[in-house]
Formats: sequence, C-alpha cells, structure tokens
Amino acid sequence: MSIDVVARDETPASGSQPPAKRHRVLAPPVTGQEIVLICVIAVLWVILGFATPAFVSAGSIQPLLGAVAPIALIGIGMTVVIITGGIDVSVGAAIAVCSVITAKLVLVQAGLSLPVAVLISVVVGGLLGLLNGVLIAYGRVHAIIITFGTANIFLWLSLKLFNSTTVNNIPDTLAPLGNGAAGRTLGVPNSFLITVVLVAIAWIYLRHTAGGRHFYAIGGDQLAAELAGVKVRQRVLTAYLLTGLLVGLASCIVVAQGSNLGQNVGSGKELAVIAAVVIGGTSITGGRGSVLGTVLGALLVQTVASGVTQLGWRSELSDLFVGVAIIIAVGADLIRERARRKR
Amino acid sequence: MSIPTAAAPDLTAQDDQSGPPTPERGESLPARVIRALLTQRIVLLAVLLVLVVVYFMVLGATGYLTAAYDFDYLSAALINAVPLAMLGFAELFVILSGRGGIDLSVGAIVSLAGMIFGFAYGRWGWPLWLAIVITALVGAVLGLVNGLLVAYIGFPALIATLATYYAYKSLAVVINNQRPISTKPIQNLYESTARSVELPLIGSWIPNVPKGIFLFLLPTLLVVWLLLARTTYGRRVYAIGTNDIAAQWSAIGVRATRAGAYALSGLISGLVAVVTVGQFASARPDAGVSGNGMALPAITIAVLGGVAITGGIGRVSGIVLATVLIVWMNAGIRLAFEGNAGPQYQLLALGLLLVFAALLNGFALRRYGGVG
Repeated sequence: MSIDVVARDETPASGSQPPAKRHRVLAPPVTGQEIVLICVIAVLWVILGFATPAFVSAGSIQPLLGAVAPIALIGIGMTVVIITGGIDVSVGAAIAVCSVITAKLVLVQAGLSLPVAVLISVVVGGLLGLLNGVLIAYGRVHAIIITFGTANIFLWLSLKLFNSTTVNNIPDTLAPLGNGAAGRTLGVPNSFLITVVLVAIAWIYLRHTAGGRHFYAIGGDQLAAELAGVKVRQRVLTAYLLTGLLVGLASCIVVAQGSNLGQNVGSGKELAVIAAVVIGGTSITGGRGSVLGTVLGALLVQTVASGVTQLGWRSELSDLFVGVAIIIAVGADLIRERARRKR
Repeated sequence: MSIPTAAAPDLTAQDDQSGPPTPERGESLPARVIRALLTQRIVLLAVLLVLVVVYFMVLGATGYLTAAYDFDYLSAALINAVPLAMLGFAELFVILSGRGGIDLSVGAIVSLAGMIFGFAYGRWGWPLWLAIVITALVGAVLGLVNGLLVAYIGFPALIATLATYYAYKSLAVVINNQRPISTKPIQNLYESTARSVELPLIGSWIPNVPKGIFLFLLPTLLVVWLLLARTTYGRRVYAIGTNDIAAQWSAIGVRATRAGAYALSGLISGLVAVVTVGQFASARPDAGVSGNGMALPAITIAVLGGVAITGGIGRVSGIVLATVLIVWMNAGIRLAFEGNAGPQYQLLALGLLLVFAALLNGFALRRYGGVG
C-alpha cells in the first residue's frame, strides 16, 4: 500500500533540472503519453492518406469527428470517475435510456424543440448518474459492481420504453448536432466543437483549480484526502453525476445521427469509452490522467475503425486493432511509469 | 513497509471448511440469525432460493403463470446453469487472485474457442475427445495471455482483459467470415449435451436432468473445489489474493500463481465453449459476446456468490447457490410475463439483486467485519 502511494505522489522530474531545486506539483501540460498518441495518430493519418486518398477528404473526416464526439464527451466524465479510482460500466445502458426518451417521448411523441430536448436528455442522464453516485459514495461499495447492477436496471428501463420496436421517423429537430450540412460550422461538426469546448473547460478545471485537484487527491489516497479536508463523498458523487449529465448530452448527438433508433443503441459503448480513457494515459487505479489524453484516445480508436473500413478490410477487424492499441498504449505507459519510479 | 504478519490467521479464517464466525457469547437467537444471514453468504442465498421457489410455486398454483412451475420445469431449466456456473468458477479463480482481478474476456474466449471446436469437430472430423481437449487448451492459452499481461507485465486486469476481449471477439468473427459452423456432427451434439435424461437407479423418483450437468458441470465443480480447497495451488491463490506482499515474503511464486488463475479461467471458458456449441447445435462466432455477453452474468454470479472483488475471499458453494438462484428466478420470470417482457424483467431482477448484494456486503463488512 504505502509503496504505491509514495510512487504515485512522486512528481516526474522535469528534464535536466535537479529535482530538489524546483519541485513540480503539476504534471507537464502535455504528458508523454499524449505526445506519443499525437505522433501515432499523425502517422496513421499519413499512412491512411497515402493508402486511400479518400481518407483525408472532408467527406471522411467529418463523420469521423462526429463519431468521436459522443465517446469523447462521455470520456470527460469517465476520466474524472477513473481519476477518483472508480469506474462506470453503466454508461452504455444509460445512453440507451437517454436516447430512447429523447427520440421517442420528446421528439416523436411530444415534438418539442431542440433546447428542451437537450435539457430533458441531460436531466435524465443526470438522474441516472446521481443514482450511481449516491450508491457508490454513500453505500461505500466497489464502483464496478454497483454500475454492473445499475447497467442491468437501465437496460431494462430502455427496453421497456422501446416496447419491442425501433423508433422510426425521428424529426430532424436535432440536426444542428447531426452529421448533415446543418450540423457543421465552417466545415467542422458542431458536436465536435462542443466536445472541444467542454474538454478545454474540464482540462483547466481539473488542472488549475483546487476543486479539480481534489479528484486527483481522492484517487491518490482516499484516506489522506479525507484527512486533508476533501469532501470525498461529495466529490465522488459529483464525478458520477457529471458522467451522467454528459451521457445525456452525448445521447442527443447519437439520436441526431439518424432518423431511426435501434434497441441496441449504446451497447458496448461503455467499453469504447473506457478504452479511450485508458489509451489516453489515465491510470485505472486512480490519481493520474487527463481529459486531453482521453480525446486523443477516442480519436485514435475512431481513426483505426474508420481506416479499417476504408482499406476495405472486414469492419470486425477494427476491434482487434483496438485491443492491440490498448495493450500498446497502456504498456508504454507502464514502462514509462516504471522508469519514473526508478529515477 | 512492515511485513504483515497477520496473513497466516487470515488464511485459516477463509478455509472452506471453517465454521461460522464465532458468535459473541450471550447473543440472542434473532441476533444470531441475522448475523448468519449477513456474514454467511450461502445462508442468505439458500434462504433467498427457497423464497423464490416457494413464491413462484404459489403463483403457479393460483394460475398466474403461463405454465406449471414444477420440479420437471426447474430441472429442465438447470441446463442454463451449466455455462453460467462454469464461468462463475472462471471468475472465482481470477477474482480470488487479487490485485483487482477480473476477467472481461471470458465471453470472447467462449466465442473464439467455440469456433475452434467447430473447425476441429465439425469440419476436420477429429474425434470428439481430441476436439474437446484442443478447445480447452486453446482457451487456456487465450487465458494465459491475460495472465502474462497481468502477472508478469503488470497490466491492471480490467485493462488487459478489456483489450483481449476486443481482440478475441474480433478474431472469432473473422476466423470463419462471420459464418457459424453447424455441420452434421455439431448438430448431433445437442443430443449428448443439452438433452434431459433419466438417472439410473433413482431416476424414476426425481425429474429428468439435463446431461450437461453430469458431463460438464459436476466434473468441473469437483475439480475446482478440490483445486481450491485441497491443493497447495488453491491455498496459494487465496494467499496472493489476501495479501500479495505477504505471499511474496512467504516464498510463493506470486506471478506464476496469478498467471495460472487466468489460464484456468481460460481453460474453463474453453469447456463452456463446447457446452454452448452443443446447446445451440451450432458454433456461433458471437456465442459469448452477443447481447450483454457472458462476462457480465459471470461476474454477477461471482459477486452474488460472496466473492470479494478485492480478492482472497470466495467459495465454490457460493457460486453454485448463486447460479441456481438466478437460473430458477429467471425461469419463474419467464413464465410470469408474456413475450419480450420476461427477458426484460430478468435484467431488472439481476440488476436489483446485484446492487442489493453489494450494499449488503458493504454493510456486513462494517457491522461484522466480514462476509464468508
């Protein structure tokens, strides 16, 4: 136990400076993992660009960014959750609940406007996240078990709302969030722009405010954080609530992507989000990570998926590469972490 | 860093054979019952099991159910317990081994090993025993990959098995171009695994029981129990799960033991692949990952069965009771609702049960200091 804590709190020595002179509290703005990811993504884009020139066209990159948006958005919340040392495997089922409510009840049946639809979806997502948060923070049980349980409950709720049919003829109220021409500003999908703005806010908050640092403190050592005056339960609750709110927003983007909604919406998305977070260098044991890495992780996964289809390979192969990408990304992080401890 | 010397008494406390936590002197009977319910998971599960069966039988007697909820039906439903309990054992090994042990890839291993079995037995016409052995070995190798990543390289189990889940799932689909294998020998397999048979000697007094129970579940159960409760390896798994630094100081090969737990999990998943192929009469590339997948229910069974997610605590009997509880509860729910509502309410019941069990674990831990 104590070994772990000491090692985690050890700050990375910055280059040639003698570590004793200037004690660095924060990790560098862009960590090694993120630089590696940027390089890998750049190399992939260059290779794919040469292999299939269509890959670098607007018609291919726009949907790619649109697909990154929901994963990265939820990834912000998941990053915070994992930084506190928790995990949330119910987001896939929560997407299903939020999107069926938004698509079926709000858009098809009630025909409400875009702001109302987004608001309702976010509130519903927030309630689901609140349930997780209360159970985990106050029931003091392991997050993975509780969220496995609530995932089943959410799934039941969504299937009940779907009532054994797909939702068809969804009006295009949410088009500004979708993949069509209405969903783009200056050629960039609005959903991706929203993601970038929220990621920037989350990045600054987590890095430069006391409240943000509290999440890292909890993940580093919950007891120490408690003794230092951090309101641990409240913070943990906030992390799951935030994830739920972002699931609500992401669900609107998912609904906006088509005029039909199948019952399997959101299935497997929890693993995609967790994959993006861990590829981005967030430590699954808590205390370390950044939302920037998560966005890059989501971008990498989507690049691989899109590349595999564009090369004309079987789309199922992309999962194999995602698996390999996780191993390589986390493995590289493990090796760097080990080197850091030795120093 | 002090060397925890408390490890030795801890280990004996988790012995399969040890009695209930000694009741405090002068405790009243109701207090003892409550203590037993909360601290002894198998007592709670047994009580829940009786409640569920009685409840559905009463519903059946009042004509509320769509078919009879009798012993024949319960016995036939046990076929669903075979893969569920076996994967529960797989998770038991992995979770027991500690350090956040969990195996998300079991469903994907079932898919991939099932396709291998489909090729070996259905396409290449290998003898059945050889095909089963090869399938189990393939499963063990796939599990060993997890074990090497976790135990030797130091990957968190959640991440390693998430990655291999993706990789194996993809390979299972690609290996035969997304097509299932259901040749004649595979179709005939249903007869020898899923069919219910009358037991010799006592068969006429009890309902017919699915063959898979005897051919796969009971042998696995026996081996797993012997391995965990009667061999050095089993004691080592408990030891590294309880405190892996103490285990290291006790000269236990922590890495090899932990890697072994993942390999065993894979091996059992390989056997489940054979059962699943027999049950569906077809080797399907998505057998273990379609819908919610097989990993989720398996982890649910383990947690419900009283396996501590932090490692070192858990029993075979808990897994068996939890499986039977879920299977018979689901069987009842299927009769209580018509159409798609049944499977949906099964999700709700599973979710509520899991949250309830987890909260209860937390409460018992604070109130009595542990769950056995």
